[in-house]
Amino acid sequence: MHNPPKLFLKFFRWYCHPRLVKPIEGDLMELYEERVQELGKKKADLQFIKDTLLLFRKDIIKPAEGTRKLNHYGMFKNYFKVGIRNILKYKTFSFINVFGLAVAMSVCMLIILMLADQKSYDQFHSKKDTIYRVLGTPEIGSWPFATVPMPVAETLEEEYPFIEEAIYLRRGVGGDASINQKTVELKGYFTNSSFFSVFSFPLVEGDKSTALTAPNSIVITKEKAYQLFNDKSPLGQQVKFEDRGLHILDIESGNPPVDWGTYTVTGVIDLSAYKTHIKFDALVSSSTLPRLYQDSLIADVSENWEYYWGVYSYFKVAEGTSHDQVQKALSDLSLRKYAESEELSEFQLSGQRLTEITPGIPVNNEATFRLPEIAYYILSILALVIMVMACLNYTNLSIARAITRMKEIGVRKVNGATRKNLIFQFLTESVITVIIALLLAAVILYFTKEAFMNLWFNKYLNFELTTSLPVIAQFLVFAVIVGLIAGTYPALFLSKRNPINALKSKDLSKGKWGLQKVLNVSQFVVSLIFIVTSMVIYNQFKHYTEFEYGFNSENIINMPLQGNDYDLVVNELSQISGITNISAVDYIPATGITNVIELQNQKEDEEPLVLLNYYVDENFIENLDLKLLHGESITSSREDGRYILINESAVEKLGYDSPQEALGQIWKLDNDESSVQIIGIVENFRASLLINGHEIRPMSLSTGKDKLNYLNVRISEGNPLKTIADIQDRWKEIDPIHEFKYDFYDNELSNTNLAIFDVVTIIGYISFLAILIACLGLLGMATYATERKTKEVGIRKVLGAAELKLVLILSKSFLTLLGMSILIAAPLSYFINKLWLDNLPNRVDFGFETVIIGSLLMLGLGLLTIGSQTLRAARQNPVESLKDE
Amino acid sequence: MKKFQLGEFEEIVMLTVAILYDDAYGVSIKKEIENRLGRNVSVGALQSALRRLEDKDYLASHDKDATQERAGRPKRYYKITSLGKQAMQYTKETRNSLWDAIPSVSLDVKFAKLFNA
Repeated sequence: MHNPPKLFLKFFRWYCHPRLVKPIEGDLMELYEERVQELGKKKADLQFIKDTLLLFRKDIIKPAEGTRKLNHYGMFKNYFKVGIRNILKYKTFSFINVFGLAVAMSVCMLIILMLADQKSYDQFHSKKDTIYRVLGTPEIGSWPFATVPMPVAETLEEEYPFIEEAIYLRRGVGGDASINQKTVELKGYFTNSSFFSVFSFPLVEGDKSTALTAPNSIVITKEKAYQLFNDKSPLGQQVKFEDRGLHILDIESGNPPVDWGTYTVTGVIDLSAYKTHIKFDALVSSSTLPRLYQDSLIADVSENWEYYWGVYSYFKVAEGTSHDQVQKALSDLSLRKYAESEELSEFQLSGQRLTEITPGIPVNNEATFRLPEIAYYILSILALVIMVMACLNYTNLSIARAITRMKEIGVRKVNGATRKNLIFQFLTESVITVIIALLLAAVILYFTKEAFMNLWFNKYLNFELTTSLPVIAQFLVFAVIVGLIAGTYPALFLSKRNPINALKSKDLSKGKWGLQKVLNVSQFVVSLIFIVTSMVIYNQFKHYTEFEYGFNSENIINMPLQGNDYDLVVNELSQISGITNISAVDYIPATGITNVIELQNQKEDEEPLVLLNYYVDENFIENLDLKLLHGESITSSREDGRYILINESAVEKLGYDSPQEALGQIWKLDNDESSVQIIGIVENFRASLLINGHEIRPMSLSTGKDKLNYLNVRISEGNPLKTIADIQDRWKEIDPIHEFKYDFYDNELSNTNLAIFDVVTIIGYISFLAILIACLGLLGMATYATERKTKEVGIRKVLGAAELKLVLILSKSFLTLLGMSILIAAPLSYFINKLWLDNLPNRVDFGFETVIIGSLLMLGLGLLTIGSQTLRAARQNPVESLKDE
Repeated sequence: MKKFQLGEFEEIVMLTVAILYDDAYGVSIKKEIENRLGRNVSVGALQSALRRLEDKDYLASHDKDATQERAGRPKRYYKITSLGKQAMQYTKETRNSLWDAIPSVSLDVKFAKLFNA
């Protein structure tokens, strides 16, 4: 016996079709043996190798998939077919499953869309992974600020070699740009020339490398360029810029214009084409700043390490720099600059990756409105709760219906199906169900998306919920995962059956019904908590909108002066007949913006006292129906900035026992040399946001004509629209450049509560879905239970049972179920809501009645669900149910 | 009439299997062809042809005689099925009818050459 080359023999055995391997190997061996005798071992070996290689051909090689997999494919086809048939056969159950899953999935999909939108921010920058923003945390434990002191950027670039380029965006550009009688409002930043090498914004026109180098250069957005120049090329044009102190997020009404000189347009940027967290109309070259400092047009903070409210800093690091390295450099810098500092000894700088800004941790002084990460977590958790409830429905119904599948399972097992095969089969079924649900969910999503986009906060967050291919892929993956999760327990449970018991349709242990009840109860518990919570939030919302502020806001419209002279505007408007009164104030009370003054006693031996302060004119008290309790009101004869009125809380705060005592007292203003005299006491009214505090804060009303920003115009009830039109006409004469802006005071007040209303809408929708899914689950169980008891009902009826009695018998187990849910959920929802409500200022009364109403609502819906099935069963003619077979 | 497909090499293998009658297995078929036709036959080509013929149901096979020199592997013996017989017959008849249809002059090579020129 001689041995052929082992390697090739093995190779042959590996590739050869198992059916052929033995005889052909025999042939090869026979030939080999012969050749060894005739030609010698070497030549025989060569021949053998040649033969094995030549045998490597289509007819001899085993099929690539292996013989087993073919079988799997066949079985898969069968699973698929049986799955579809099962779905079609039990239409009620399939509908309950598909609908419940679809509703829950649509919510999850909406959140996937939101996250996909947020994740797409700032993805277009070519060096996005090496760009950081600097955050500053003033003291340990507080939220970080997105703004940092101005010298940070330059210091970082100079002192740390791995930081390639650092830039700052300094707030403060906000005013009117004009050319040839055309005026456009521009808001933006001062920034360094390397702005365009850190960020990858392309310029539609202009040269990126030089656009922001020279002083008085300005880069504007395409939109503004069109407004200013129409189709003419903006490059090289000289525009006149007058600053009005406008804020980038549009909060302030604007100061009188200040001439900042002329600027050359050096670039046009199409900002709207890019999703970025930075928003602006214009960028002004930072080399312009020294001149503005010199002319005292803007505060010089370029060497100020304490001022951290107005400058954003970004830097780009060298490729391969680790996050730790960046953090280390920043803590090193903060240690060096702030360890010795008196007020900011805890000030800590840190780096935030550009890609982690949206969505990201909540920060103060953000450049644009954003939802922090935590909001997405909360929304995701709510959506997942709903999703779990829908999955429980599927699990529950599948187990409940196990008995109808027993024969099939038994037959499959007898025919040789392993447990694994059955698990695979049931998982296939659940995935099919979920895929169908996915289609329905897409339809539901189409509508919820619309509703979501119309929510108030979307005006500020600008969600763009577009469906792209990767998002669809995510939906599919999500659906398959949901299918697997929903199907796992039923698959394990059903496949466990012993074939003999399965064929006998026995062995449905009582314990499993117990589990289903637990699941059902938990669904209703969650639903009730949601219902009560949404009712409480709604009540709170109503309480806020109907709140008595202590002043009369009816029929008042507020209009920003937009930098125009107060006397002039008042004079012009007072000629309009529909106006009954006009007053003015620096910021509208109770709409979110507040200013303070600090008062120091005459001896200057104590900490200054902080009072909320509004600058008002002499008509303010009368116009808003404020009540003057003591002393006298502000009059036009009084000198500006010398006299204040205080409210009742302030009397206490300033340490007086009675209002009379306070009258005539003189206090020093902390920030300058002047002092003020208290001339009157007004009744408390609410001027801060309701959500910001329960107590009415100590407050003062001061005179100061140059500080007034808004007019409060009280118009007569007759024809408000005509009066507003009249005002608009007058306004065009007073200020032809700026558009007339106004809003009703009542409107502005209720707008402050719109965020709460959005929460009501979201929680309300979620609780609606929760109760819907819970009821669907109950409907499924009730349908199934009554179906299985038709014979019993028939016999009972024949023996003379009354319909009502039958309904009671059939509903009993479900009624206890509902009762248990309420017993658990009612106190739970009471305490949960008490918990958050107790932290809310100006809260609505919350007692057991809300919980009771919620419970009754749920009980009613539950009874309706059960009743629909049990009544039908009880009414059935016994002949029908008894004759079948 | 049903169409029978039989390639040139396949036909040779069929004929050889018929000749060997009771002793037609891999090695013997290979040797018989090599001896009779004087052409080299690789194991691969032969086995693949046998596979195709078996798939067409022209050949049937059974295993026996696991001997020492074959390392205990059986021989796979081939036999012609009745369908195989029909196929061989059909091929032979079509050949014959084609031969019969040739006019005698076309095989006169000299004439043909003249004609071409």
